[in-house]
Amino acid sequence: MSNQAIIRFEKVTKQYDEDPPVLNDVSFEMERGRFYTLLGPSGCGKTTILRLIAGLIEPTSGKIYIDGKLVNDVPANKRQVNTVFQDYALFPHLNVFENVAFGLRIKKLKKEEIKQKVREALRFVNLEGYENREIKEMSGGQRQRVAIARAIVNEPEVLLLDEPLSALDLKLRTEMQYELRELQQRLGITFVFVTHDQEEALAMSDEIFVLNNGVIQQRGTPTDIYDEPINRFVANFIGESNILKGRMIQDYLVEFAGKQFTCVDGGFNPNETVEIVIRPEDLEITPPEKGKIQVKVDSQLFRGVHYEICCYDQQGTEWIIHTTKKVNVGDDIGLYFEPEAIHVMRIGETEEEFDARLEAYHEQGVANEG
Amino acid sequence: MKKMKLSTIYLFIVFVILYAPIFYLMFFSFNSGGKMYHFEQFTLDWYRELFHDTRLLIIVLNTVIIALLSSVISTILGVFGAIAIWYVRKNYQKSLLLSFNNVLIVSPDVIIGASFLIMFTVVGIKLGFTSVLLSHIAFSVPIVVIMVLPKLQEMSSSLIDAAQDLGAGRREILTKVILPYITPGIFAGFFMALTYSLDDFAVTFFVTGNGFSTLSVEIYSLARRGISLNINALSTLLFLFTIILVIGYYFIVTKRNGRAVGLGARK
Repeated sequence: MSNQAIIRFEKVTKQYDEDPPVLNDVSFEMERGRFYTLLGPSGCGKTTILRLIAGLIEPTSGKIYIDGKLVNDVPANKRQVNTVFQDYALFPHLNVFENVAFGLRIKKLKKEEIKQKVREALRFVNLEGYENREIKEMSGGQRQRVAIARAIVNEPEVLLLDEPLSALDLKLRTEMQYELRELQQRLGITFVFVTHDQEEALAMSDEIFVLNNGVIQQRGTPTDIYDEPINRFVANFIGESNILKGRMIQDYLVEFAGKQFTCVDGGFNPNETVEIVIRPEDLEITPPEKGKIQVKVDSQLFRGVHYEICCYDQQGTEWIIHTTKKVNVGDDIGLYFEPEAIHVMRIGETEEEFDARLEAYHEQGVANEG
Repeated sequence: MKKMKLSTIYLFIVFVILYAPIFYLMFFSFNSGGKMYHFEQFTLDWYRELFHDTRLLIIVLNTVIIALLSSVISTILGVFGAIAIWYVRKNYQKSLLLSFNNVLIVSPDVIIGASFLIMFTVVGIKLGFTSVLLSHIAFSVPIVVIMVLPKLQEMSSSLIDAAQDLGAGRREILTKVILPYITPGIFAGFFMALTYSLDDFAVTFFVTGNGFSTLSVEIYSLARRGISLNINALSTLLFLFTIILVIGYYFIVTKRNGRAVGLGARK
């Protein structure tokens, strides 16, 4: 029972009128007790997925299961999920206690029970003693907590969070990231978190679904997605990248920027055209003669923790470097990188094909070593 | 600085022009001379006479009953009407409904009164209490709608989503979220309907029948018969009553607005 997916989407499509679908034939499963993040630019369909799970909208086609039961026809007020809304949606005419008690009152619980549960929920979000405050007297961060308390007091199996941190300032946002993560671990329920902020997604999630144009581009752990993006979109959206055109000579040998390099990717056709991703922080600055690639520094930006340096090589390709070293504009420098820093992407590959290829050449690699 | 003074003087003059006739009228309601010129002596005779006039007292009572009944009923109808318009998804349908509503507000009372008169005669409703009440309800509903609708539109739709998410059904969403939220608008609509009904003349004049009259119609017929300072006394009382209503309305609105302002700071 515990292995069964708590949420399952089967070929779900959502379309409004004649517009292109907001969500196109999406299938996935979510396990119990994990922290999932739906990540993507605005209009990618991430909030649509959330509203479909909540039951606030109905799918145009496809099936949605919660806890193994088909819920297509179950209205929102009968589903065992609760939502923390982007604008918190707290009821302005009720105080903190009544806001949190709203769901319990509808379930017609006994007065004493309501009192106890509300107090417990408020303690969970560190808002003890705020019961009688009006909503307008609370700060943004406190409202956020009230919204969370109001959702978790109903003991949902799944908590949906619709960009709940976007209205907070940077410092508070980082704090809340830790708190949400900790809250999820203490409650042990499934969190589905929607955001367009890749840093937030990387910091908090067990698993990330990257969405674009109503399709899930890639799913995986934060490190998987960061280290092995499946395509140009994911590589660009998650972190910063140098993306270059290249050619796969054979397994573990790739050509780009006019040179050949050993790499750790395989499973391609000989001489296949590919795209190469090298993260800016994987590039190391060396004297020109020691570098694998020679470039000229074009500009340098101070970013606080690091410098962002923009360079061009002889072919005119742009290279972005993140480094703590300072260089001078106009200098010739060398760039060094490990074979592991090169990530090769096949153009137009789907997630299934990507996973299959990864598996195949990993096995092969193990066999070669043996 | 000079500009400020000019604008203050202008404002003062405007208010004097607007209020002078009313105060002139009120002033002579205390005149023992019985004429609107040459103030002789202070007297409350006209008021005394007013309060001994049982016919007039019944008319006052009629007016108040009509006003209260019609504003209560039209508030209920108007609130549901506003919610219905708000629920309409398609934009052109929404603005069409709203236009129908607004036409009734701006169209001349004479036309509304005349058309009601024709309708009541055709349908066979006897002119009197019922016809006046029905027509007052009819012209008050659009006013309530227009007072309530902005409140609804200001309400974030995520409040409804949140209520649904927390298990509320349609009825609970209405009673626990929508109605409490729009309460200030409902009060405003109610008071507007009340004042419109209290001082309506044109529509009532058309649809009232033998033996039934409201204050404004009565004052009109008194004035036609010849000037008596009775009218001044009556008008003074009416004016004071309206002032009290306005002040009461003001207090309710500011008290509620204290909340609404806090809401605005939410984002």
